[in-house]
Amino acid sequence: MTRPTLRDVAWLFLRVGNTTFGGGNPTIAVLQREFYQRNWLTPEQFGIAFGLGRVTPGTNLLAFCAAAGYYILGLMGAVAAVLVVTIPSSILVIWLTRVCEAGAMHPLAQSIIAATIAAAVGTMIGASVLLVASEFSKSNWLKPLVVSIGAFLLAYVFALSPLAVIGVAAAVGFFWVEA
Amino acid sequence: MNIFLLYLLLLKATLTSFSGLASLPVVRHDFVERYRVLTDRQLTTAVAAGRLGPGPMGLYVVSVGYFVAGVPGACAGWLAMITPAFLVIPMLRFIGKRAEHRRAKSVTRAVLVAGGGLLLSASVPLAQDAIHGPLSIGIVALSFALIAFTRVDTFWVMLGAAIIGLLAFQF
Repeated sequence: MTRPTLRDVAWLFLRVGNTTFGGGNPTIAVLQREFYQRNWLTPEQFGIAFGLGRVTPGTNLLAFCAAAGYYILGLMGAVAAVLVVTIPSSILVIWLTRVCEAGAMHPLAQSIIAATIAAAVGTMIGASVLLVASEFSKSNWLKPLVVSIGAFLLAYVFALSPLAVIGVAAAVGFFWVEA
Repeated sequence: MNIFLLYLLLLKATLTSFSGLASLPVVRHDFVERYRVLTDRQLTTAVAAGRLGPGPMGLYVVSVGYFVAGVPGACAGWLAMITPAFLVIPMLRFIGKRAEHRRAKSVTRAVLVAGGGLLLSASVPLAQDAIHGPLSIGIVALSFALIAFTRVDTFWVMLGAAIIGLLAFQF
């Protein structure tokens, strides 16, 4: 494994993290190619970083970046990776939010914002379907089906708080381990 | 709202989800229903703003923080978004491959799937707020189909919707 400088690592994460649209998976795919080309991570390290990123709470991409940065340059690498991936895109999001707010009074902007908001709702419903579908397989379909529909009913019909629903789901996962 | 409380509430949402938008039900429960410092319209605008730029799905919490308390709120949102990521470091050191344990995986997968059901439940009031006629119903349905059944990037879905909004105003 080659040991790069902090500047090299920060530059790679900055470039890939802030120019790849579409969230975690496309970004991780681009980073994987770049790591292998530079000989910064072994396939085994990549596998562990990816797997642990999935089971770390919060945004998977950021946990993956922290893990990969940690393997490459230790704690400094992890901190640098997370900061450079999130700061520029966060500033852009604040700016976009301000644009949406400022445009709220203008009729043309209202029409555009209303359309993007409708698309955001469609995206959320689509994302919820994808979340559940990602766990479906021929041998394992009953548990994802029961847990997802159960979570929806507990939250929507019985107005249970999201945290309570997550607790129930964790308990179900603990006692109902698929073959 | 106090910035520290804002950070803690957003952290609660990010710490209890395993995927970008899966924190949304907790955010909506606390900010829209409980403390009433955010409207459904602002929450959906935050999601749209998060998807119009590059970066992870969880970025919308920065926009939520901005709506609640301006730039300091956005910083609290950013901090709440990145804090859980650093949990991976002790996990790398002490758990490593043991995270592949069947029961641990089963719990994570159940929480992940429940996040899908919760997100759908939280989307219902947001859809009621966003739908005002046939055009918005069409955009919701089309963007849902594009996200769920194709590999089209969400950025193009948002851009396409913005162009439809522009054309709808012109004609």
